[in-house]
Amino acid sequence: MIPIENFLVLAALLFAIGFYGVLARRSAILILMSVELMLAAVAINFIAFATYMDHDAFSGLIFALFVITVAAAEVGLALGVVLRLFRERRTANVDAANSLKW
Amino acid sequence: MFDRLPLPSQFDRTIVAGGTVAGLAGGPILVVLLGLMIAGTISVAEMVFYLAAAVVLAGALGAVLIKNIVHASLALIATLLGVAGIYLLLLTEFLALVQILVYGGGVIILLLFALMMTNAQDDPIVQDGTQKPFAFGVAALIGGVFIAALLDAQWGSPTAAVVPFRDFGMRLFRDFSVPVIIVAILLDIAFTGAFVNARRAEAEDGEGRS
Amino acid sequence: MGMEQAWVLPAIPAVLFAVIAFFNALIPRRGDWIAILGMAAVVGLVFVLMVDFQSAFHDGHFEPNGSNAFAFDWINIGQGFFVIEFSTYVDAITMVMLPVVTIVALMVMVYSVGYMHGEVRYGWYFALLSLFVAAMLTLVVSGNLILLYLAWEGVGLASYLLIGFYWERQSAAEAAKKAFVTTRIGDVGLLIGIILLWRATGTFDIQEIIAAATSGQIDETYLTVAMLFLFGGAVGKSAQFPLHVWLPDAMEGPTPVSALIHAATMVVAGVYLVARFSPVYAEILIARDVILYTGLITAIMAATMGLVSTDIKRVLAYSTVSQLGFMFVALGVGAVGAAMFHLFTHAFFKALLFLGSGSVIHATHQQEVGALGGLRKKLPITTVTFIIGSLALAGIPIFAGFFSKDEILHYVQADGGPIPYVLLAGTALLTAIYSTRLVLLTFFGEPKDHHAYDHAHESGPAMAIPLIILAGLATVAGFFVFDQVGEALGFVGGIGQLVYIDHPHPFTQLDYAFAGIATLTALAGIGIGVAYWRGDAQRAVQARQWAPDLHALFVNRYYMDDLYQGIIDRVILGAATVVAWFDKRIVNETGVDGGAQTISYLGYRLKFLQTGRIPNYALGMALGVLVLAVVAVGARG
Repeated sequence: MIPIENFLVLAALLFAIGFYGVLARRSAILILMSVELMLAAVAINFIAFATYMDHDAFSGLIFALFVITVAAAEVGLALGVVLRLFRERRTANVDAANSLKW
Repeated sequence: MFDRLPLPSQFDRTIVAGGTVAGLAGGPILVVLLGLMIAGTISVAEMVFYLAAAVVLAGALGAVLIKNIVHASLALIATLLGVAGIYLLLLTEFLALVQILVYGGGVIILLLFALMMTNAQDDPIVQDGTQKPFAFGVAALIGGVFIAALLDAQWGSPTAAVVPFRDFGMRLFRDFSVPVIIVAILLDIAFTGAFVNARRAEAEDGEGRS
Repeated sequence: MGMEQAWVLPAIPAVLFAVIAFFNALIPRRGDWIAILGMAAVVGLVFVLMVDFQSAFHDGHFEPNGSNAFAFDWINIGQGFFVIEFSTYVDAITMVMLPVVTIVALMVMVYSVGYMHGEVRYGWYFALLSLFVAAMLTLVVSGNLILLYLAWEGVGLASYLLIGFYWERQSAAEAAKKAFVTTRIGDVGLLIGIILLWRATGTFDIQEIIAAATSGQIDETYLTVAMLFLFGGAVGKSAQFPLHVWLPDAMEGPTPVSALIHAATMVVAGVYLVARFSPVYAEILIARDVILYTGLITAIMAATMGLVSTDIKRVLAYSTVSQLGFMFVALGVGAVGAAMFHLFTHAFFKALLFLGSGSVIHATHQQEVGALGGLRKKLPITTVTFIIGSLALAGIPIFAGFFSKDEILHYVQADGGPIPYVLLAGTALLTAIYSTRLVLLTFFGEPKDHHAYDHAHESGPAMAIPLIILAGLATVAGFFVFDQVGEALGFVGGIGQLVYIDHPHPFTQLDYAFAGIATLTALAGIGIGVAYWRGDAQRAVQARQWAPDLHALFVNRYYMDDLYQGIIDRVILGAATVVAWFDKRIVNETGVDGGAQTISYLGYRLKFLQTGRIPNYALGMALGVLVLAVVAVGARG
């Protein structure tokens, strides 16, 4: 049997990597992909806790399902925004969308 | 160093490099894991977990580090499939299926479409942001804090239990029927919004031309 | 209506003010008839109240220091520590004031219908008159110093607005300002006095303060100072020396306003105030002397200035100041009844004189006596009534002024000593001279401005009827002092009885010898006037040559306006320059602008944190998450 810590450490690492991607990337699409990584990490945590510690109710599974669903919705919507940005600025870089500054 | 390798033009330099690294690093790891398994130190399930974890992390690193945007999204596919494997190891076949269907099918297709509709084809190489060193520091610190915290915690020794499809379905559509409906509406609204957003932009472009 | 309902009296004109001020454009004739009908109702109520008061007094129900008052707590802080009551108090002094205020106000309103016909802001004029009456009646029925002060400022406000009624005229606006600022000096004294009295007694109720002060609960020096401050308010409002300078300028207002506010009612508020506190002043010799000599100086100065003034309204204004001086002299010698009696008669004949001068001005559009003359043929009603008023002012027997002035002279001789008596009698002589001069130059002799003379004609009944009524009152008002007259009318006694509730002072017959002297004085004054002027303008020029220095002194009003102007220019404006510099440099530029600029500069620097780049914001958020995570882990460990 795999100890639960394994899954949790994996999720933490995946989350940190996704976080790095969000902060370091410049292309909006790549940032979106990094966000997907972070969401996957969260989903892993949910499922791990559900199967290991919540045998009767397993609410975490339901939540993981919702996370996946919402992530899909988010990707769809965000990509629409990215296309819009690309049309406005001829680039998908988030640096281009900086008119809301001083 | 791969830049200096003599490569015919039909080979993508990065893919070859990634494959080489995977082969060079993955081989010994596989050997070590098999050895440990045979020696009885780790179970089969653990070995599979480590393999899947290696795929997930390697894919994730590729997704955030590779400069070619198309290659980065291909690395993301590896991660998402690896995550599906993790779900299987967590004894939830249903979610693994959903993961593959939604991510491997829908999300990735969407991402690739978005890439194609932007200028990724002409100029697939992207520059990273200027705050890369800070990003690395902060991400490392957050990961460190999380890992330190969860290793410090007393988890006991919980064991995983299989969730039967039937129980999961009953719970999802009986106890959580209202949230399911709400999420369905959310999805509907989100995709309608995305559609309208993109379409309006086209309409504006059309007006601009005429 | 009983005495408890005295609050109704000011309430009626207050409501009328609001109605006319806001809705006069919607009302036929701009609402003047509402104001007049309301005023007539108030006059009726005053007589009802008077009957109630007399019967209560007769039956012994009335307690001089008791509470006939309508009262409720207006402000109550600290469970009785600081209580301001809204209370009314009606006693004999009030009963003298009420008919004066209401009757004169009614006459003036009726007169204004004719005088102000076709003027700008006609409705606003009647609204202001109503406001003034409301404030004045509040002042008179108030049983409480705070309410009294409120009404005191209220009449000041109405006076200010009415003096500056023709604010398009620079001189009117300045006169209004001068009146307001000058009386404000006195009002501050009044407020200080009120606060001092509250500090000593813990109450604002006038009767309680009087009871405390007369029973010796307050330190004598302290009480003297407080009462002198209180008198300061009276000096400002009643235009006594040295704050008399505003009243002649106040003639910039419409003439009926001068009659109502600056002759009959508001300016006697000071007399009323001192009379109200007369039990206290009676015990403070220093304050009594201050009042006596203030009144005396004012009476003489104003009379001499009236002697040389060439503006018909200004002569009357100086005369008013002088007569107010008479009243204060009476108060100074403790003759409250005499002072109130003179107030009573003076209100009628001075209002009459002002309305008469208004009739002259209305007919000729001239108010310089040098341009008038011979108007008796053109304005017969005005001439007769004006002469009646002048005779009353001069103090000729059977006319009202004779009795009251005689009363004052009588008390001054008895209680004030020979010097005040001689000076006051001399002032009475001057009074007779200048009133004769005014009548002669205006109505007799040859017309000097033929254009104005030819166009002059008697005005309509709206103006004539008030003149006739007031002339009647100026003739008979003096008889009210006799107990026999009062009893014949069903009252307990005359004016003297009314005012002297504490010490009934029956007034049954004249001291013929004394009255004879006074009469001779008045006749002598008239004789001098007639002998000298005879309607001849050249005589005025000769007077100037006869004693040029004295003439210049009088004409320049004893140089007091110049003195005040000099003080304002040098001292006050000098200090103001320093203050203005401090305010501009230190407060404004360093304090306010400096603070604002510092913030502005910081904002300019800090705004660059807002790069507009999403990854930067994400990094900030990540740092926040990191901090939270560290805190959470640390808290658990």
